[in-house]
Amino acid sequence: MLQFMRFVAVRAVMAMVTLVIVSFIVFSLMELVPGDCAERYVAFKNTQGSQITVADIQAERVLLGLDKPFLTRWVKWITHAFEGDFGESCILRLNISRLLGEKFWISLGICLTSLLAAYAVALPVGIISATSNNKTLNNTLRLVSYLGLALPNFLLALMVMLFSTVMFGNSLTGLFSPEYRDAAWSWARGVDFLSHAWLPIFILGWSATAFAIQTVRALMSDEIGKLYVTAARARGVSGRRLLWRYPARHALGPIINSLGFDLNRIFNELPVVALILTLTEAGSLLIEALARSNDQQLAGAIIFLLTASIVALNFFTDILLALTDPRVRRSIMG
Amino acid sequence: MSDMSTDKTTDKTDANVDQKLKEAYFTASQGQLIWTRFKRNRSAMAGAIVLLALILSGLFAPFLTPYNPTIAGRDKGYENGAPQIPKFWDENGFSIVPFIYTSERQRSIKTNFRWVTTINREKRRFMTFLPHGDPYTLFGLHFDRHLFGVDKGKIHLFGTDFAGKDIFSRTFHAINTSMAVGTIGVLIAFVMALIIGGVSGYYGGWIDSVLQMITDAIRTVPAIPLFMALAAFIPDTWSSEMRFFFISIILGFIGWPTLARRVRTHLLSERNQEYVLAAQLCGASASHIIRKHLLPSFTSYIIVDLVISFPYMVLSETALSFIGLGLKDPVNSLGVMLQNVTKADVLLNYQWYFIPVIFFITLVLAFVFVGDGLRDAADPYSDSKT
Repeated sequence: MLQFMRFVAVRAVMAMVTLVIVSFIVFSLMELVPGDCAERYVAFKNTQGSQITVADIQAERVLLGLDKPFLTRWVKWITHAFEGDFGESCILRLNISRLLGEKFWISLGICLTSLLAAYAVALPVGIISATSNNKTLNNTLRLVSYLGLALPNFLLALMVMLFSTVMFGNSLTGLFSPEYRDAAWSWARGVDFLSHAWLPIFILGWSATAFAIQTVRALMSDEIGKLYVTAARARGVSGRRLLWRYPARHALGPIINSLGFDLNRIFNELPVVALILTLTEAGSLLIEALARSNDQQLAGAIIFLLTASIVALNFFTDILLALTDPRVRRSIMG
Repeated sequence: MSDMSTDKTTDKTDANVDQKLKEAYFTASQGQLIWTRFKRNRSAMAGAIVLLALILSGLFAPFLTPYNPTIAGRDKGYENGAPQIPKFWDENGFSIVPFIYTSERQRSIKTNFRWVTTINREKRRFMTFLPHGDPYTLFGLHFDRHLFGVDKGKIHLFGTDFAGKDIFSRTFHAINTSMAVGTIGVLIAFVMALIIGGVSGYYGGWIDSVLQMITDAIRTVPAIPLFMALAAFIPDTWSSEMRFFFISIILGFIGWPTLARRVRTHLLSERNQEYVLAAQLCGASASHIIRKHLLPSFTSYIIVDLVISFPYMVLSETALSFIGLGLKDPVNSLGVMLQNVTKADVLLNYQWYFIPVIFFITLVLAFVFVGDGLRDAADPYSDSKT
């Protein structure tokens, strides 16, 4: 038990170190963007009609603490970030945590659900296709997984939009019906949300499913030829029992291990899909922050949060793997 | 008796052929072996042929397509125009030379002062081949002949966009752009991966640990949001060429971590081999050993990885351009062409905006097939598996 706790602690420290490195990269990027927050805000005020001078910019810089050296500001940013406070957005001057809050959780929920859905489909389908000799089935699956690669989620989203507009005259976009958009969470709003959320979940899960089927299939066909499976078969185990108890358990390890990267891939597609489907969540807020208002504080916070959730997932899968896989457990316990 | 003798001779020739085959097999170079295995894979070969065709049509786009893809080649009288399909016959009779109809636009009190396009089936316009048209430069030479055109006005096989630019011409030029962006991106990723993975794998120890930590940290950051952040740096004042190169460089930055990891893993296992020790004892420098002894041992894997990572580059560029952070007019790419398609107006009325998507799915699929085929072909154990 003590060793297990130590393993968890080591993993937690490693996750923290990764986050610190990531925060440094993200923060440096935010710094490298030409122009800083003070200039941008004052320029924004200028467009609103007030007269500004160089002295105003300087005063704004001091106010925001931008006159301090780079490292000091980074340390301040990262310590606050771990407490969930990302400061204020450049242009909107609102607290970023409050601005993001619900939207980020919606995004994370959608992405995790599509990841789950992807594996819920991929595990049985992958196992069946690895064990069956049905040529048509295998070729169809191969084609589907190739299509998952060649038709990335955002193109799929476009195609779905095109199809639904032409066929039903409704583009199926958005996350809420207009009447619920700004309402508080309630039963009706939840139902409304679910009735809209299935499409982004399907679209985000599309490539992930294709990838997952390929992975599961490759792992299973590697394991199925191994001697322990033959040995089990010789002992009289057969059918589904054989598959689930022997090769499937071996194949599960690498799959759990790669969940973090699958989530990464889904996050990759999130902003563009969000833009196409006009979802009002963190992905579209990121595009808003980057492409329209150049709000580096907001963009940095979103990228950091996305990465943090991947690191967290990696941490949990490591622990999960140690719990489920006796080989890993033994190596930890020494 | 005679039967037996013929049997024997065939046996002998069989054995001879067999022997020759074996000899050829054992004396074949790595490249020949890969090619032999690759040829046997039918889907990969089909992919390779399609890919070659697409690349060539991208390269020769200025000749193959009738018009300049930029605003200079626009058709002022046919904005948002539907695709025009050449015909050989209709109710008015046959024609050897394919023809299209004339579309006429008018605006009057009858049409409520809106532009209304009508197709006049009586007025045929005949296609011409190798006509003179917009001048272009190909491989440093100037030409003005195009593969086809039409005798009066302009022909738009895939229709036109909101500015009257020919979508057919744009599609083929876009293939060229995507290939160029992908090539530059892959090259940059390749060089970075070689340097970082090479150093990390060859030296090992703490250098390896530190480099791996950084690589892993970069790998956890979702790449496209990161690109978006990088692409947001581009000032609006940059020319489209500068943007193009900057975007390619950014794309190079996603590709390297995965490839660097591969290079490192391989070097870690290879560096303890005796031929490396021999080279070290001869006084060879580290960079010499990496370049001359270690890298050639897995060139085929690197090539395969490069081919496989190519479509990701193309798709990332498309995504970036689509949201307006990547390439911009007058540079053509699929992303640029898709920029305005989410409008309800386009979805309902101008579906031909989506025609280029088909070409790009084909391009990416071809790459995936070729990459998969190459991977199987480069794996020396793939024969025993089957």
